[in-house]
Formats: sequence, structure tokens, C-alpha cells
Amino acid sequence: MNPSSIPSDYLPIFIQFLVAAGFVVAVMVATHWLGPKRKSKLKLETFECGIEPQGNARIPFSIKYFLVAILFVLFDVEVIFMYPWAVNFKVLGESGLIEMLIFMALLLTGFFYIIKKGALKWE
Amino acid sequence: MNTLIILSAVGVLALFSEMLNFKKALGAIILLGLVGAFAADVMAWNTNRHYYNEMMVVDNFSVAFTGLLIVITFLWFIMSPDFFREPSSRIDHFALIIFALIGGQLMTSYNNMLMLFLGIEILSIPMFILAGSNKSDLKSNEAALKYFLMAAFATGFLLFGMALIYGATGSFQIQNITQFIKSQQGNIPVMLVAGILMMLVGLAFKVSAAPFHFWTPDVYTGSPTVITAFMSTVVKTAAFAGFFRLFSMCFESSSATWANTIWALSALTIIIGNVTAVYQTSFKRMLAYSSISHAGYMLMAILALNQYAQGSILFYATAYSISSITAFAVLLLVSHLAGNDSIESFNGLAKKNPLLAFATVLAMLSLAGIPPLAGFFAKYYIFTAALQQHYTGLVIIAVMGSLIGVYYYFRIIIALFKSENDDVVIPVNNTFKVFLVVTSVAALLLGIMPQLVAGIL
Repeated sequence: MNPSSIPSDYLPIFIQFLVAAGFVVAVMVATHWLGPKRKSKLKLETFECGIEPQGNARIPFSIKYFLVAILFVLFDVEVIFMYPWAVNFKVLGESGLIEMLIFMALLLTGFFYIIKKGALKWE
Repeated sequence: MNTLIILSAVGVLALFSEMLNFKKALGAIILLGLVGAFAADVMAWNTNRHYYNEMMVVDNFSVAFTGLLIVITFLWFIMSPDFFREPSSRIDHFALIIFALIGGQLMTSYNNMLMLFLGIEILSIPMFILAGSNKSDLKSNEAALKYFLMAAFATGFLLFGMALIYGATGSFQIQNITQFIKSQQGNIPVMLVAGILMMLVGLAFKVSAAPFHFWTPDVYTGSPTVITAFMSTVVKTAAFAGFFRLFSMCFESSSATWANTIWALSALTIIIGNVTAVYQTSFKRMLAYSSISHAGYMLMAILALNQYAQGSILFYATAYSISSITAFAVLLLVSHLAGNDSIESFNGLAKKNPLLAFATVLAMLSLAGIPPLAGFFAKYYIFTAALQQHYTGLVIIAVMGSLIGVYYYFRIIIALFKSENDDVVIPVNNTFKVFLVVTSVAALLLGIMPQLVAGIL
């Protein structure tokens, strides 16, 4: 990167930003303006795959969901590292493979740890 | 580099020791692993190798500080196992300590801002958990939450500073930033100055320099005493190593932009730390304020940045850590029996437990900076380094600060010799006796032969 870049170098980014924001605003205004409006009780109800909604969404739920969700995010993010590796598989070659194996081994170690700790036990 | 691999292996082993049923052997494995890591660290002396596309560099500075961190952690492990009695999850705590040590090592040997950030996070995240490891104690929970929120806030500053520096120089690499600063020949862009000052704020928080010290007393008091001992020795040393490395190797040629700020930080830290410590009735809280004031003295080395600065900050960190860990070890035993950590619970210790009292006296004298002990030469070297850069005013403030320090450290020594009616002798096991003798001898030895450590760098 050239450290002496000046503010006007960022003009294309600014224009891109304006176009993106403008598109969103324009589409939202247009749909509100163009679409027909029929308000009835059924129309305003929450739509969940055709099944009738039950109760309130704002209820306390088990902390276990939270733990599982956090662990999911953790492993999900770690697996994302495999995509760039797969794309550059040939360039990285043998050393890349070994590094990925080490990475996967550490990942599995963590997985083994959470299973043994009982973090995934539901009861 | 081998140090890092050995430590990681030990950390993972510690995680699994409970599940794979070698919990009993864990203590030995950890101590052996630390010895191995130390050996690997010493072998890297004078090699000056770069790793991972220049992300890390193992030079003599990093070898010396990593060695110090490993030695203190070793001492910490010798002192702590008896006090991790809670059945809940002590094994995980040991693993977390090892992982924190790995973070500390990264902070001493980074060559890229991202590695500095990673190191700080690897060091901090286990500390948040450990600060709250006494789950049934409300104070411990408070400490963990406070530490986490404040540290997250400070990390924000640090990251923002890094981003600004990247914006100004186009690199995270230490050498590239140095080159950029040199090529500007004194005309340093405002964005870079802002970046440096923001990083300074973030790091000042980590080393608990005033006015970013407000978390320290509460977190140090609330955390379990063993964890406080680790925080005030290993964490502080690692933070200072990272701080010093950044400012001496990266920002040195722009010192005109940040020298005044560090001057003010240092003076303020010394004054606030020492004056507030006088009013404390709890020994633990007093040690927390004393650790703030010692951060102020160590900041003087970062300000001086001459050929003496490296050796002096290493020696200061060594002397401070050894005396501090002794003080915490005694506090552990005393507060365990007395049920609180007030200064009164030390009353009459000289008669009941001469060894404990002897170790406490040496630790307090060393922290106060009384001549034959390590703490005196630590201060002497730092003040000399600062005087050579003509920071006379700051040295005068620092000397006044140490005089106030003598007052509150001597309050403990006086308490030791007060006569007390009950004579309940505190049981001290043999490992602990050896620990106290070793640290006391080390404090004396370093005072007699300071060149042993200070001459290394």
C-alpha cells in the first residue's frame, strides 16, 4: 500500500457507498409506495411457515442453548479457515497440508475436550 | 519458538489430565514442562531468529523476559497447589495459567502489532476467568466482571491506535513502522501521533498506570490471592515487556511526541500509587496500590530508553516479582488462618512464625528499596538511566514516592513485631518453607550481585 494516499483516492469507495445506500432506500420507498395495503388480523399476524404461532417470543430459555450456540459459532468460524486453504491447496502444497492437519488436530482436541467436559449433554 | 511449542503442549496436557486420569502426575508434568521450556528458551540465546513470516522474533530481550516469566510461573506453581482446594475445576485453572504464560511469551517476542494484540488477548482472557474462579464469592465475581469490561474498553483504544498507525504507515510490521518514522525526519503525521497515544492509553491500562489504574485495587482485592499473585508478577512483567519493546524498537525515533505523556503518567502513577497505599488497612489492597506505584517506576525506563534502560527494566521486573510473590505467599497463609487480609492479622508473626516473618521483612524491605536487597538496586538502575537522560524532576518525584513507600512497607514490619496474646502457630509445610527460603535468598543475592540479571541485557 502506498502510505501517501490522499483523501480523494477514497472517492470511488464513497460513490459505491452512496449507490448501495441509495439502492436500499429507493427500493424500500418504492415498495411501500407501489404495493397495495390491506390490513386485516390475519395479514398482520406473524408468519412462520404456515404454522399458527403460539405464545410470546420473549420468554426465558435455557442457558444450554447459549452454550451450544457459542460452541457452534466457534467451530463454524474455525472451519471457515478451510475454504482459503482449499482454494490455494496446490500452491500451499505439502507444508500447507501438514499445517492444516495440525490445525484440525488442535480443533479436534478442543472438540474432544468439550465432549468430555459434558458441555453438549442436554439433560 | 520451541518454548512456545513446549508450553502449548503442557497446556493441552493439563486440560486433559482430568479426563485421561493422570491428574496426580499433573503437578510434576507442569513443573518438568516449565523446566523444559526454560531450557529451550535459554538455548535460543544470541540466535536472533525470525519466525512465521517475520511475525515473531526471538532476540535476547525476548529470551531474557520469557525466561523471567517462566521462572516466576514455576515459583507460582510451587506456592499455589495447596490453595486450589476447591473441587470444582482446579485442573482447568492450571491449564489457563499455562495459556496465560504463552500469551506473555508472545508479548515479549512479537515483531508485528497483530502478534502484540494476540499476546495481550491470550494473556488477558484466562485472567478474566481466573479472577472470577472463586465462584461463590461475590467479590471475585465483581473482580472478573470489572476486569473484563475495563480491559475490553482499553483493548478498544489499543486496536484503534493500531488501526491509525496502519493508516499512517501502511504496515503492522515493527521495522516498517520504524523506517517510516525515520523517513519522515521529524515531521510525524498527526494520524501516527494519535495512534501512538491511543496505544499508549491501552498499554498504560494493562500495566495499571495512573490515571488508568482504577480497576487494579478492586480486581486485585477481589480475585483469589493466588491469582492476584500471578497478576501482579507475571502479567505485569509481560505487559511491561510488551510496552517497552513497542516503544524502544518501534516508536523510539518519534520520542518527542510521547515523552511528555509518559513523564506525566509516570509521575502521576508514583504519587497516586504511593499516597493511596498509605491509607489502606487491607494488606492485599495495599499490595495492589504498591504494584501501581512500581508500574510508575518502571515507566521511567521506557522514558529513558538508553543503553541502561533494557537491563534496568529487566532487573526491576525481576526484583519486584520475586519480592511481590513472597509477600503474596505469606498473605496466603496468614489470611487462610485469620479469615481476612487486614494488616492486623500479621500482628505478632515474628514470635509465632519466625520464618514467615523473616521472609515478609525481606520482601517489604526489597519492595521499599532498602540497600542490601534487590529492590534497592532495581530503583538505583532505573533512576540512573533516567538521570542520564536528564529527567531530574521525575527522579526527585520518584525518590519522594519511595520515601512514602518506606512508611507503608514498614507498617507491615512493625505489625510483625507487635505482641499478640494468642499464639496460634500457622502450619507451614516443607515445600512452602523451601519456597520462602529460595525467594528470600534470591532477593538478597540479587541485591548483592545485581549484575547477575541486570548485566544480561
